[in-house]
Amino acid sequence: MAEEYEAFVRDRDHAVSGNQVVLTLRDLTPGRHKYKGINVRAVISEAPVAGEPLLWLRSVVGTRDAAPCSVRITEHLAPVFDAPPYTDYFKVMEALE
Amino acid sequence: MAHRDLREFTDALQSGGDLVTIDDEVDWDQELAGIGRLSCERDGPAFMFNNVKDYAGWRVLANPVTGWRRYAVALGLPAGTPIRELYKIYAQREQNPIQPILVNSSPCKEVIIPKSDIDLFDLPVPMVHDGDGGRYLGTWDLVISKDRDTGWVNWGMYRFMVHDEHHLTGYPRPNSHLGKMLLDGYAPAGEPMPIAIVIGADQPSHLSATATFRMGGDEVELAGGLGERAVELIKCETSDLFVPASAEIVVEAEIYPDKIAQEGPYGEYPGYRSGEMGNSVCARVTAITHRRDPIFTIDTTGFMDSSAVTTSISGAIAIRRRLERYDIPVAEVYIPPESGVHMAIVSVTRGGPDVARQVVEILTARRALMSKVIVVDDDVDVFNMSAVIHAFSTKCHPDRGTHIHRYEGRANALTPAYSQEERVNQLGASVAFDATWPPDWPAGTTPIRATLDSMYTKDVQDRVNARWKKLGL
Repeated sequence: MAEEYEAFVRDRDHAVSGNQVVLTLRDLTPGRHKYKGINVRAVISEAPVAGEPLLWLRSVVGTRDAAPCSVRITEHLAPVFDAPPYTDYFKVMEALE
Repeated sequence: MAHRDLREFTDALQSGGDLVTIDDEVDWDQELAGIGRLSCERDGPAFMFNNVKDYAGWRVLANPVTGWRRYAVALGLPAGTPIRELYKIYAQREQNPIQPILVNSSPCKEVIIPKSDIDLFDLPVPMVHDGDGGRYLGTWDLVISKDRDTGWVNWGMYRFMVHDEHHLTGYPRPNSHLGKMLLDGYAPAGEPMPIAIVIGADQPSHLSATATFRMGGDEVELAGGLGERAVELIKCETSDLFVPASAEIVVEAEIYPDKIAQEGPYGEYPGYRSGEMGNSVCARVTAITHRRDPIFTIDTTGFMDSSAVTTSISGAIAIRRRLERYDIPVAEVYIPPESGVHMAIVSVTRGGPDVARQVVEILTARRALMSKVIVVDDDVDVFNMSAVIHAFSTKCHPDRGTHIHRYEGRANALTPAYSQEERVNQLGASVAFDATWPPDWPAGTTPIRATLDSMYTKDVQDRVNARWKKLGL
Protein backbone atom coordinates (compact mmCIF):
# COMPACT_ATOMS: atom_id res chain seq x y z
CA MET A 1 0.00 0.00 0.00
CA ALA A 2 1.23 3.48 -0.85
CA GLU A 3 1.71 6.19 1.75
CA GLU A 4 0.06 8.92 -0.27
CA TYR A 5 -2.73 9.04 -2.84
CA GLU A 6 -4.87 11.56 -4.65
CA ALA A 7 -8.45 11.28 -5.90
CA PHE A 8 -10.75 13.42 -8.02
CA VAL A 9 -14.22 13.97 -6.62
CA ARG A 10 -17.28 15.75 -7.94
CA ASP A 11 -19.14 15.83 -4.61
CA ARG A 12 -16.60 16.53 -1.91
CA ASP A 13 -19.12 16.51 0.95
CA HIS A 14 -20.26 13.05 -0.08
CA ALA A 15 -16.67 11.80 -0.28
CA VAL A 16 -15.76 12.94 3.23
CA SER A 17 -19.10 11.97 4.81
CA GLY A 18 -17.43 9.21 6.81
CA ASN A 19 -19.39 6.58 4.91
CA GLN A 20 -17.78 4.00 2.69
CA VAL A 21 -17.36 5.33 -0.86
CA VAL A 22 -16.03 4.01 -4.16
CA LEU A 23 -13.00 5.89 -5.48
CA THR A 24 -10.20 5.78 -7.98
CA LEU A 25 -7.00 6.47 -6.08
CA ARG A 26 -3.84 7.67 -7.83
CA ASP A 27 -0.67 6.39 -6.20
CA LEU A 28 1.73 9.28 -5.46
CA THR A 29 4.73 7.13 -4.58
CA PRO A 30 7.72 8.61 -6.45
CA GLY A 31 9.11 6.49 -9.27
CA ARG A 32 8.01 4.94 -12.51
CA HIS A 33 4.57 3.90 -11.32
CA LYS A 34 3.58 7.26 -9.87
CA TYR A 35 -0.04 8.18 -10.72
CA LYS A 36 -1.13 4.57 -11.24
CA GLY A 37 -4.88 4.25 -10.66
CA ILE A 38 -6.61 1.71 -8.43
CA ASN A 39 -10.32 1.36 -7.76
CA VAL A 40 -11.31 0.81 -4.16
CA ARG A 41 -14.00 0.95 -1.54
CA ALA A 42 -12.72 3.19 1.20
CA VAL A 43 -13.55 5.49 4.06
CA ILE A 44 -12.09 8.99 3.99
CA SER A 45 -11.25 10.85 7.17
CA GLU A 46 -11.15 14.58 6.74
CA ALA A 47 -8.83 14.87 9.75
CA PRO A 48 -6.00 12.46 8.91
CA VAL A 49 -5.91 9.35 11.09
CA ALA A 50 -2.50 8.16 12.24
CA GLY A 51 -1.35 5.09 10.35
CA GLU A 52 -3.64 5.67 7.36
CA PRO A 53 -2.24 6.80 3.99
CA LEU A 54 -2.68 10.48 3.19
CA LEU A 55 -5.22 11.37 0.53
CA TRP A 56 -5.24 14.62 -1.39
CA LEU A 57 -8.65 15.43 -2.81
CA ARG A 58 -8.94 17.28 -6.08
CA SER A 59 -11.97 18.84 -7.75
CA VAL A 60 -13.16 18.00 -11.26
CA VAL A 61 -10.87 20.71 -12.64
CA GLY A 62 -7.92 19.40 -10.61
CA THR A 63 -7.86 21.98 -7.81
CA ARG A 64 -6.20 20.37 -4.79
CA ASP A 65 -7.41 20.81 -1.22
CA ALA A 66 -5.12 22.89 0.98
CA ALA A 67 -4.64 19.98 3.39
CA PRO A 68 -4.79 16.21 2.98
CA CYS A 69 -7.34 13.77 4.38
CA SER A 70 -6.50 10.16 5.11
CA VAL A 71 -8.01 7.05 3.59
CA ARG A 72 -8.74 3.54 4.83
CA ILE A 73 -9.07 1.06 1.98
CA THR A 74 -11.65 -1.59 2.77
CA GLU A 75 -11.71 -3.43 -0.54
CA HIS A 76 -9.79 -3.44 -3.80
CA LEU A 77 -12.08 -3.44 -6.84
CA ALA A 78 -11.54 -4.45 -10.47
CA PRO A 79 -9.39 -1.99 -12.43
CA VAL A 80 -12.30 -1.04 -14.69
CA PHE A 81 -16.03 -0.60 -14.06
CA ASP A 82 -18.85 -2.25 -15.99
CA ALA A 83 -20.62 0.50 -17.95
CA PRO A 84 -20.99 1.54 -21.59
CA PRO A 85 -18.48 4.03 -23.03
CA TYR A 86 -19.12 7.65 -22.05
CA THR A 87 -21.25 6.70 -19.06
CA ASP A 88 -20.90 9.22 -16.23
CA TYR A 89 -18.04 7.71 -14.22
CA PHE A 90 -19.01 9.41 -10.96
CA LYS A 91 -22.56 8.03 -11.17
CA VAL A 92 -21.20 4.54 -11.85
CA MET A 93 -19.03 4.70 -8.74
CA GLU A 94 -21.90 6.05 -6.65
CA ALA A 95 -24.11 3.18 -7.79
CA LEU A 96 -21.50 0.72 -6.52
CA GLU A 97 -21.51 2.14 -2.99
CA MET B 1 8.42 17.27 -50.04
CA ALA B 2 8.12 16.55 -46.32
CA HIS B 3 10.66 14.59 -44.29
CA ARG B 4 10.40 10.82 -44.33
CA ASP B 5 10.33 10.34 -40.56
CA LEU B 6 10.60 12.09 -37.21
CA ARG B 7 14.40 11.89 -37.18
CA GLU B 8 14.85 13.62 -40.52
CA PHE B 9 12.36 16.23 -39.31
CA THR B 10 14.20 16.88 -36.04
CA ASP B 11 17.50 17.17 -37.94
CA ALA B 12 15.89 19.88 -40.07
CA LEU B 13 14.56 21.66 -37.00
CA GLN B 14 17.95 21.56 -35.34
CA SER B 15 19.79 22.91 -38.35
CA GLY B 16 17.32 25.80 -38.53
CA GLY B 17 17.63 26.67 -34.84
CA ASP B 18 14.10 25.47 -34.05
CA LEU B 19 15.11 22.61 -31.74
CA VAL B 20 17.03 22.75 -28.46
CA THR B 21 18.59 19.57 -27.07
CA ILE B 22 18.90 19.07 -23.31
CA ASP B 23 21.37 16.46 -22.04
CA ASP B 24 20.93 17.18 -18.32
CA GLU B 25 18.48 14.99 -16.44
CA VAL B 26 14.91 16.32 -16.58
CA ASP B 27 11.95 14.95 -14.60
CA TRP B 28 9.06 13.44 -16.56
CA ASP B 29 6.82 14.58 -13.69
CA GLN B 30 5.81 18.10 -14.81
CA GLU B 31 9.30 19.56 -15.31
CA LEU B 32 9.78 18.36 -18.86
CA ALA B 33 6.31 19.50 -19.93
CA GLY B 34 6.71 22.76 -18.04
CA ILE B 35 9.68 23.65 -20.24
CA GLY B 36 7.60 22.85 -23.30
CA ARG B 37 4.67 24.86 -21.94
CA LEU B 38 6.79 27.97 -21.44
CA SER B 39 8.12 27.55 -24.94
CA CYS B 40 4.58 27.55 -26.34
CA GLU B 41 3.76 30.72 -24.46
CA ARG B 42 6.94 32.46 -25.68
CA ASP B 43 6.86 31.15 -29.24
CA GLY B 44 10.05 29.24 -28.46
CA PRO B 45 11.65 26.12 -29.96
CA ALA B 46 10.92 22.41 -29.69
CA PHE B 47 12.92 20.52 -27.06
CA MET B 48 14.62 17.13 -27.25
CA PHE B 49 15.19 15.68 -23.78
CA ASN B 50 17.98 13.10 -23.96
CA ASN B 51 18.09 12.21 -20.27
CA VAL B 52 14.68 11.58 -18.72
CA LYS B 53 14.54 10.68 -15.02
CA ASP B 54 13.66 7.00 -14.45
CA TYR B 55 13.78 6.27 -18.19
CA ALA B 56 17.33 5.63 -19.37
CA GLY B 57 17.47 4.84 -23.08
CA TRP B 58 14.43 6.92 -23.98
CA ARG B 59 14.28 10.38 -25.46
CA VAL B 60 11.31 12.74 -25.33
CA LEU B 61 10.57 15.38 -27.95
CA ALA B 62 8.27 18.18 -26.78
CA ASN B 63 6.12 20.13 -29.23
CA PRO B 64 7.28 18.92 -32.65
CA VAL B 65 4.81 21.17 -34.47
CA THR B 66 4.00 24.24 -32.39
CA GLY B 67 4.18 27.61 -34.13
CA TRP B 68 4.20 28.46 -37.79
CA ARG B 69 7.93 27.89 -38.29
CA ARG B 70 7.78 24.22 -37.30
CA TYR B 71 4.49 23.82 -39.14
CA ALA B 72 6.24 24.96 -42.32
CA VAL B 73 9.15 22.54 -41.75
CA ALA B 74 6.63 19.72 -41.14
CA LEU B 75 5.35 20.33 -44.67
CA GLY B 76 8.94 20.34 -45.98
CA LEU B 77 8.91 24.12 -46.52
CA PRO B 78 11.32 26.85 -45.34
CA ALA B 79 10.66 27.78 -41.71
CA GLY B 80 9.90 31.40 -42.59
CA THR B 81 7.09 30.65 -45.06
CA PRO B 82 4.36 33.32 -44.56
CA ILE B 83 1.10 32.20 -42.94
CA ARG B 84 -1.07 33.08 -45.94
CA GLU B 85 1.26 31.00 -48.12
CA LEU B 86 0.99 28.06 -45.69
CA TYR B 87 -2.80 28.24 -45.95
CA LYS B 88 -2.56 28.28 -49.73
CA ILE B 89 -0.12 25.36 -49.92
CA TYR B 90 -2.13 23.28 -47.45
CA ALA B 91 -5.31 23.83 -49.47
CA GLN B 92 -3.51 22.82 -52.69
CA ARG B 93 -1.92 19.70 -51.24
CA GLU B 94 -5.16 18.63 -49.59
CA GLN B 95 -6.61 18.37 -53.09
CA ASN B 96 -3.84 16.02 -54.28
CA PRO B 97 -4.10 12.85 -52.20
CA ILE B 98 -1.42 10.17 -52.58
CA GLN B 99 -2.08 6.49 -51.99
CA PRO B 100 -0.05 4.72 -49.30
CA ILE B 101 2.43 1.89 -49.85
CA LEU B 102 2.34 -1.33 -47.80
CA VAL B 103 5.63 -2.60 -46.42
CA ASN B 104 6.59 -5.75 -44.52
CA SER B 105 9.34 -4.49 -42.27
CA SER B 106 10.12 -1.34 -40.38
CA PRO B 107 12.25 -0.12 -37.45
CA CYS B 108 9.01 0.38 -35.50
CA LYS B 109 8.95 -3.42 -35.06
CA GLU B 110 12.48 -3.68 -33.68
CA VAL B 111 11.05 -4.26 -30.20
CA ILE B 112 7.75 -6.13 -29.86
CA ILE B 113 6.17 -6.38 -26.40
CA PRO B 114 3.36 -8.93 -26.19
CA LYS B 115 0.25 -8.46 -24.08
CA SER B 116 1.60 -10.64 -21.29
CA ASP B 117 4.66 -8.42 -20.76
CA ILE B 118 3.05 -5.00 -21.05
CA ASP B 119 3.58 -2.36 -18.41
CA LEU B 120 2.58 1.08 -19.66
CA PHE B 121 4.77 2.63 -16.98
CA ASP B 122 7.79 1.36 -18.93
CA LEU B 123 7.09 4.20 -21.37
CA PRO B 124 8.31 7.71 -20.39
CA VAL B 125 4.79 9.09 -20.34
CA PRO B 126 5.01 12.58 -18.82
CA MET B 127 2.78 14.23 -16.26
CA VAL B 128 1.95 17.23 -18.40
CA HIS B 129 0.33 19.57 -15.83
CA ASP B 130 -0.05 19.50 -12.05
CA GLY B 131 -3.60 18.38 -11.32
CA ASP B 132 -4.20 16.38 -14.47
CA GLY B 133 -6.08 13.14 -13.93
CA GLY B 134 -3.00 11.12 -14.82
CA ARG B 135 -0.11 10.78 -17.25
CA TYR B 136 -1.10 11.41 -20.85
CA LEU B 137 0.38 9.05 -23.41
CA GLY B 138 -1.62 10.47 -26.30
CA THR B 139 -1.01 14.17 -26.82
CA TRP B 140 0.85 14.41 -30.13
CA ASP B 141 -0.39 11.06 -31.36
CA LEU B 142 -2.26 9.48 -34.24
CA VAL B 143 -5.09 7.13 -33.31
CA ILE B 144 -6.18 4.68 -35.99
CA SER B 145 -9.54 2.94 -35.96
CA LYS B 146 -11.80 1.20 -38.46
CA ASP B 147 -15.55 1.43 -38.89
CA ARG B 148 -17.08 -1.91 -37.95
CA ASP B 149 -19.63 -1.90 -40.77
CA THR B 150 -18.10 0.04 -43.65
CA GLY B 151 -14.40 -0.63 -43.09
CA TRP B 152 -13.63 3.10 -43.32
CA VAL B 153 -10.37 3.87 -41.54
CA ASN B 154 -10.18 6.97 -39.37
CA TRP B 155 -7.01 8.80 -38.36
CA GLY B 156 -7.51 11.23 -35.50
CA MET B 157 -5.57 12.88 -32.72
CA TYR B 158 -7.21 12.01 -29.41
CA ARG B 159 -6.00 12.23 -25.84
CA PHE B 160 -5.27 8.98 -23.97
CA MET B 161 -4.21 8.63 -20.33
CA VAL B 162 -2.45 5.80 -18.51
CA HIS B 163 -4.84 4.27 -15.95
CA ASP B 164 -2.68 1.36 -14.83
CA GLU B 165 -0.11 -1.05 -16.30
CA HIS B 166 -2.55 -2.42 -18.88
CA HIS B 167 -5.33 0.14 -19.33
CA LEU B 168 -5.72 3.47 -21.03
CA THR B 169 -8.62 5.85 -20.78
CA GLY B 170 -9.33 8.46 -23.42
CA TYR B 171 -11.54 11.28 -24.47
CA PRO B 172 -12.31 11.17 -28.14
CA ARG B 173 -15.47 13.30 -28.01
CA PRO B 174 -18.66 11.27 -28.48
CA ASN B 175 -19.39 13.17 -31.70
CA SER B 176 -15.86 12.71 -33.04
CA HIS B 177 -15.32 10.23 -35.85
CA LEU B 178 -13.86 7.67 -33.44
CA GLY B 179 -16.62 8.30 -30.91
CA LYS B 180 -19.29 7.75 -33.53
CA MET B 181 -17.66 4.54 -34.76
CA LEU B 182 -17.67 3.22 -31.22
CA LEU B 183 -21.18 4.32 -30.27
CA ASP B 184 -22.83 3.39 -33.58
CA GLY B 185 -20.96 0.15 -34.29
CA TYR B 186 -18.82 -1.67 -31.76
CA ALA B 187 -20.62 -0.77 -28.53
CA PRO B 188 -24.11 -1.86 -29.68
CA ALA B 189 -22.59 -5.09 -31.02
CA GLY B 190 -20.78 -5.70 -27.74
CA GLU B 191 -17.45 -6.02 -29.54
CA PRO B 192 -14.11 -4.48 -28.56
CA MET B 193 -12.90 -1.81 -30.96
CA PRO B 194 -9.28 -2.22 -32.12
CA ILE B 195 -7.21 0.94 -32.15
CA ALA B 196 -3.55 1.78 -32.69
CA ILE B 197 -2.02 4.79 -30.99
CA VAL B 198 0.95 5.90 -33.06
CA ILE B 199 3.66 8.10 -31.58
CA GLY B 200 6.46 9.77 -33.52
CA ALA B 201 5.47 9.08 -37.12
CA ASP B 202 6.30 11.30 -40.09
CA GLN B 203 4.77 14.71 -39.38
CA PRO B 204 2.30 14.83 -42.32
CA SER B 205 0.66 11.74 -40.83
CA HIS B 206 0.14 13.60 -37.55
CA LEU B 207 -1.05 16.71 -39.38
CA SER B 208 -3.59 14.57 -41.20
CA ALA B 209 -4.78 13.19 -37.87
CA THR B 210 -5.37 16.71 -36.57
CA ALA B 211 -7.15 17.79 -39.73
CA THR B 212 -10.77 18.80 -39.86
CA PHE B 213 -11.67 16.32 -42.55
CA ARG B 214 -14.92 14.89 -43.84
CA MET B 215 -16.26 11.63 -42.42
CA GLY B 216 -15.45 8.89 -44.91
CA GLY B 217 -12.46 10.81 -46.25
CA ASP B 218 -9.16 8.99 -46.61
CA GLU B 219 -6.79 10.56 -44.07
CA VAL B 220 -3.95 8.23 -45.08
CA GLU B 221 -4.04 9.63 -48.61
CA LEU B 222 -4.42 13.12 -47.15
CA ALA B 223 -1.17 12.56 -45.22
CA GLY B 224 0.49 11.54 -48.48
CA GLY B 225 -0.82 14.65 -50.17
CA LEU B 226 0.29 16.98 -47.40
CA GLY B 227 3.78 15.50 -47.39
CA GLU B 228 3.94 15.04 -51.18
CA ARG B 229 5.12 11.46 -50.65
CA ALA B 230 3.32 8.17 -50.15
CA VAL B 231 2.98 7.11 -46.52
CA GLU B 232 4.43 3.65 -45.88
CA LEU B 233 2.10 1.47 -43.83
CA ILE B 234 2.75 -1.71 -41.89
CA LYS B 235 0.28 -4.09 -40.26
CA CYS B 236 -0.35 -4.18 -36.52
CA GLU B 237 0.58 -7.23 -34.47
CA THR B 238 -2.82 -7.81 -32.88
CA SER B 239 -5.36 -6.37 -35.33
CA ASP B 240 -5.82 -5.78 -39.04
CA LEU B 241 -5.12 -2.07 -38.68
CA PHE B 242 -2.19 -0.54 -40.56
CA VAL B 243 0.09 2.08 -39.04
CA PRO B 244 2.75 4.40 -40.50
CA ALA B 245 5.97 2.41 -40.75
CA SER B 246 7.90 5.54 -39.79
CA ALA B 247 6.49 5.40 -36.23
CA GLU B 248 8.75 5.48 -33.23
CA ILE B 249 6.21 3.73 -30.99
CA VAL B 250 2.88 1.97 -31.60
CA VAL B 251 0.50 1.08 -28.78
CA GLU B 252 -2.09 -1.43 -29.94
CA ALA B 253 -5.27 -1.66 -27.88
CA GLU B 254 -8.96 -2.52 -27.82
CA ILE B 255 -11.60 -0.11 -26.55
CA TYR B 256 -14.08 -1.92 -24.35
CA PRO B 257 -17.71 -1.83 -25.48
CA ASP B 258 -18.86 -2.16 -21.87
CA LYS B 259 -16.23 -0.87 -19.43
CA ILE B 260 -14.97 2.49 -18.26
CA ALA B 261 -12.45 3.98 -15.84
CA GLN B 262 -11.41 7.41 -14.66
CA GLU B 263 -10.19 9.81 -17.32
CA GLY B 264 -9.21 13.44 -16.94
CA PRO B 265 -9.33 16.19 -16.13
CA TYR B 266 -6.70 17.49 -18.52
CA GLY B 267 -5.39 20.94 -19.44
CA GLU B 268 -6.71 21.14 -22.96
CA TYR B 269 -6.15 23.01 -26.22
CA PRO B 270 -8.57 25.89 -25.47
CA GLY B 271 -6.05 26.83 -22.80
CA TYR B 272 -7.93 25.63 -19.70
CA ARG B 273 -8.58 22.53 -17.67
CA SER B 274 -12.36 22.39 -17.69
CA GLY B 275 -14.62 20.08 -15.73
CA GLU B 276 -15.28 17.77 -18.63
CA MET B 277 -14.12 14.63 -16.80
CA GLY B 278 -16.48 11.77 -16.14
CA ASN B 279 -17.37 10.70 -19.69
CA SER B 280 -14.76 8.68 -21.49
CA VAL B 281 -13.69 5.41 -23.07
CA CYS B 282 -11.41 2.70 -21.69
CA ALA B 283 -9.00 0.46 -23.59
CA ARG B 284 -6.92 -2.62 -22.83
CA VAL B 285 -3.47 -2.60 -24.42
CA THR B 286 -2.77 -5.67 -26.55
CA ALA B 287 0.81 -5.00 -27.75
CA ILE B 288 3.48 -2.32 -27.90
CA THR B 289 6.07 -2.07 -30.63
CA HIS B 290 8.86 0.46 -30.91
CA ARG B 291 12.27 1.31 -32.33
CA ARG B 292 15.35 0.30 -30.35
CA ASP B 293 16.29 3.90 -29.57
CA PRO B 294 12.79 5.35 -29.36
CA ILE B 295 11.73 8.97 -29.23
CA PHE B 296 8.50 9.66 -27.35
CA THR B 297 6.69 12.80 -28.52
CA ILE B 298 4.40 15.07 -26.55
CA ASP B 299 2.40 18.21 -27.06
CA THR B 300 2.38 20.36 -23.94
CA THR B 301 -1.29 21.02 -24.38
CA GLY B 302 -2.73 24.41 -23.44
CA PHE B 303 -2.62 27.99 -24.68
CA MET B 304 -0.82 28.20 -28.04
CA ASP B 305 -0.19 24.46 -28.28
CA SER B 306 0.06 22.57 -31.57
CA SER B 307 -3.65 22.94 -32.29
CA ALA B 308 -3.15 26.71 -32.50
CA VAL B 309 -1.59 26.12 -35.89
CA THR B 310 -2.54 22.58 -36.96
CA THR B 311 -6.26 22.54 -36.25
CA SER B 312 -6.54 26.21 -37.08
CA ILE B 313 -5.25 25.87 -40.62
CA SER B 314 -7.17 22.72 -41.54
CA GLY B 315 -10.26 24.03 -39.74
CA ALA B 316 -10.18 27.33 -41.59
CA ILE B 317 -9.85 25.59 -44.94
CA ALA B 318 -12.68 23.19 -44.07
CA ILE B 319 -14.86 26.15 -43.08
CA ARG B 320 -14.13 27.88 -46.36
CA ARG B 321 -15.00 24.80 -48.41
CA ARG B 322 -18.18 24.23 -46.41
CA LEU B 323 -19.37 27.80 -46.85
CA GLU B 324 -18.62 27.62 -50.57
CA ARG B 325 -20.78 24.49 -50.83
CA TYR B 326 -23.67 26.50 -49.39
CA ASP B 327 -23.07 29.39 -51.83
CA ILE B 328 -21.91 31.80 -49.17
CA PRO B 329 -19.82 34.48 -50.97
CA VAL B 330 -16.76 33.68 -48.87
CA ALA B 331 -13.44 35.28 -49.76
CA GLU B 332 -11.04 34.10 -47.03
CA VAL B 333 -11.15 32.37 -43.63
CA TYR B 334 -8.61 32.60 -40.81
CA ILE B 335 -8.60 31.07 -37.33
CA PRO B 336 -6.30 33.12 -35.08
CA PRO B 337 -3.97 30.82 -33.09
CA GLU B 338 -4.66 32.80 -29.91
CA SER B 339 -8.37 31.87 -30.09
CA GLY B 340 -7.84 28.28 -28.98
CA VAL B 341 -9.70 27.20 -32.14
CA HIS B 342 -12.84 28.96 -30.88
CA MET B 343 -13.03 31.95 -33.22
CA ALA B 344 -12.99 32.25 -37.00
CA ILE B 345 -12.67 35.35 -39.14
CA VAL B 346 -14.64 35.02 -42.37
CA SER B 347 -14.45 37.63 -45.11
CA VAL B 348 -17.21 37.81 -47.69
CA THR B 349 -17.71 39.66 -50.95
CA ARG B 350 -21.28 40.49 -49.93
CA GLY B 351 -22.26 40.76 -46.28
CA GLY B 352 -25.30 41.66 -44.23
CA PRO B 353 -27.42 39.97 -41.54
CA ASP B 354 -28.69 37.12 -43.70
CA VAL B 355 -25.18 36.05 -44.65
CA ALA B 356 -23.93 36.29 -41.05
CA ARG B 357 -26.86 34.22 -39.79
CA GLN B 358 -26.31 31.58 -42.50
CA VAL B 359 -22.61 31.38 -41.69
CA VAL B 360 -23.16 30.54 -38.03
CA GLU B 361 -25.91 28.04 -38.81
CA ILE B 362 -23.83 26.21 -41.42
CA LEU B 363 -20.76 26.03 -39.21
CA THR B 364 -22.66 24.48 -36.30
CA ALA B 365 -24.85 22.01 -38.20
CA ARG B 366 -23.05 18.78 -37.17
CA ARG B 367 -20.64 19.63 -34.39
CA ALA B 368 -20.02 23.07 -33.09
CA LEU B 369 -16.34 23.59 -32.34
CA MET B 370 -16.33 27.27 -33.22
CA SER B 371 -18.27 29.45 -30.81
CA LYS B 372 -17.50 32.85 -32.33
CA VAL B 373 -17.37 33.96 -35.94
CA ILE B 374 -16.51 37.48 -37.05
CA VAL B 375 -17.81 38.20 -40.55
CA VAL B 376 -16.01 41.02 -42.33
CA ASP B 377 -16.09 42.59 -45.78
CA ASP B 378 -13.44 41.39 -48.19
CA ASP B 379 -11.52 44.67 -48.00
CA VAL B 380 -10.45 43.56 -44.53
CA ASP B 381 -7.37 41.31 -44.47
CA VAL B 382 -8.44 38.37 -42.26
CA PHE B 383 -4.79 37.61 -41.44
CA ASN B 384 -4.29 41.14 -40.10
CA MET B 385 -5.78 41.18 -36.61
CA SER B 386 -5.41 44.97 -36.33
CA ALA B 387 -7.68 45.36 -39.33
CA VAL B 388 -10.09 42.70 -38.00
CA ILE B 389 -10.36 44.27 -34.55
CA HIS B 390 -10.89 47.68 -36.15
CA ALA B 391 -13.71 46.34 -38.34
CA PHE B 392 -15.29 44.38 -35.49
CA SER B 393 -15.14 47.28 -33.06
CA THR B 394 -16.54 49.88 -35.43
CA LYS B 395 -18.78 48.10 -37.93
CA CYS B 396 -20.52 45.45 -35.85
CA HIS B 397 -23.83 46.85 -34.59
CA PRO B 398 -24.10 45.87 -30.89
CA ASP B 399 -27.71 44.77 -31.40
CA ARG B 400 -28.46 44.09 -35.07
CA GLY B 401 -24.96 42.75 -35.75
CA THR B 402 -25.06 39.93 -33.19
CA HIS B 403 -26.56 36.64 -34.33
CA ILE B 404 -26.74 33.90 -31.68
CA HIS B 405 -27.48 30.31 -32.65
CA ARG B 406 -28.23 27.81 -29.85
CA TYR B 407 -27.98 24.01 -30.09
CA GLU B 408 -28.10 20.82 -28.07
CA GLY B 409 -26.12 17.58 -28.36
CA ARG B 410 -23.29 18.95 -30.46
CA ALA B 411 -21.59 21.65 -28.42
CA ASN B 412 -17.89 21.48 -27.68
CA ALA B 413 -17.61 20.09 -24.14
CA LEU B 414 -14.12 21.58 -23.88
CA THR B 415 -15.34 25.17 -24.28
CA PRO B 416 -14.39 26.75 -20.93
CA ALA B 417 -17.38 29.12 -20.93
CA TYR B 418 -19.87 26.28 -20.60
CA SER B 419 -21.21 25.15 -17.24
CA GLN B 420 -20.88 21.55 -16.08
CA GLU B 421 -24.50 20.90 -17.06
CA GLU B 422 -23.99 22.35 -20.54
CA ARG B 423 -20.83 20.28 -20.92
CA VAL B 424 -22.56 17.02 -20.02
CA ASN B 425 -25.50 17.66 -22.34
CA GLN B 426 -23.36 19.27 -25.04
CA LEU B 427 -25.59 22.32 -24.85
CA GLY B 428 -24.17 25.47 -26.29
CA ALA B 429 -24.36 28.44 -28.59
CA SER B 430 -22.33 30.11 -31.28
CA VAL B 431 -22.47 33.73 -32.30
CA ALA B 432 -21.76 35.51 -35.56
CA PHE B 433 -20.63 39.10 -35.24
CA ASP B 434 -21.59 40.85 -38.44
CA ALA B 435 -18.87 43.42 -39.11
CA THR B 436 -19.93 44.04 -42.71
CA TRP B 437 -21.80 46.98 -44.12
CA PRO B 438 -25.52 46.31 -44.60
CA PRO B 439 -25.95 45.71 -48.32
CA ASP B 440 -29.16 47.75 -48.35
CA TRP B 441 -27.45 50.97 -47.32
CA PRO B 442 -27.29 53.42 -50.22
CA ALA B 443 -23.80 53.49 -51.70
CA GLY B 444 -23.36 57.19 -51.03
CA THR B 445 -24.06 56.84 -47.31
CA THR B 446 -21.76 53.95 -46.38
CA PRO B 447 -18.91 55.29 -44.20
CA ILE B 448 -15.45 55.48 -45.75
CA ARG B 449 -12.51 54.06 -43.80
CA ALA B 450 -10.04 56.77 -42.82
CA THR B 451 -6.93 54.93 -43.94
CA LEU B 452 -4.39 55.67 -46.63
CA ASP B 453 -5.72 53.00 -48.94
CA SER B 454 -9.34 54.21 -48.69
CA MET B 455 -9.43 57.98 -48.14
CA TYR B 456 -6.74 59.18 -50.51
CA THR B 457 -6.50 59.28 -54.27
CA LYS B 458 -4.41 56.65 -55.98
CA ASP B 459 -2.00 59.35 -57.08
CA VAL B 460 -1.45 60.56 -53.52
CA GLN B 461 -1.09 56.97 -52.25
CA ASP B 462 1.63 56.33 -54.81
CA ARG B 463 3.47 59.52 -53.94
CA VAL B 464 3.24 58.87 -50.20
CA ASN B 465 4.47 55.31 -50.60
CA ALA B 466 7.36 56.43 -52.81
CA ARG B 467 8.41 59.09 -50.32
CA TRP B 468 8.10 56.59 -47.45
CA LYS B 469 10.41 54.25 -49.26
CA LYS B 470 12.88 57.03 -50.11
CA LEU B 471 13.03 57.99 -46.43
CA GLY B 472 14.01 54.42 -45.67
CA LEU B 473 11.11 53.94 -43.25
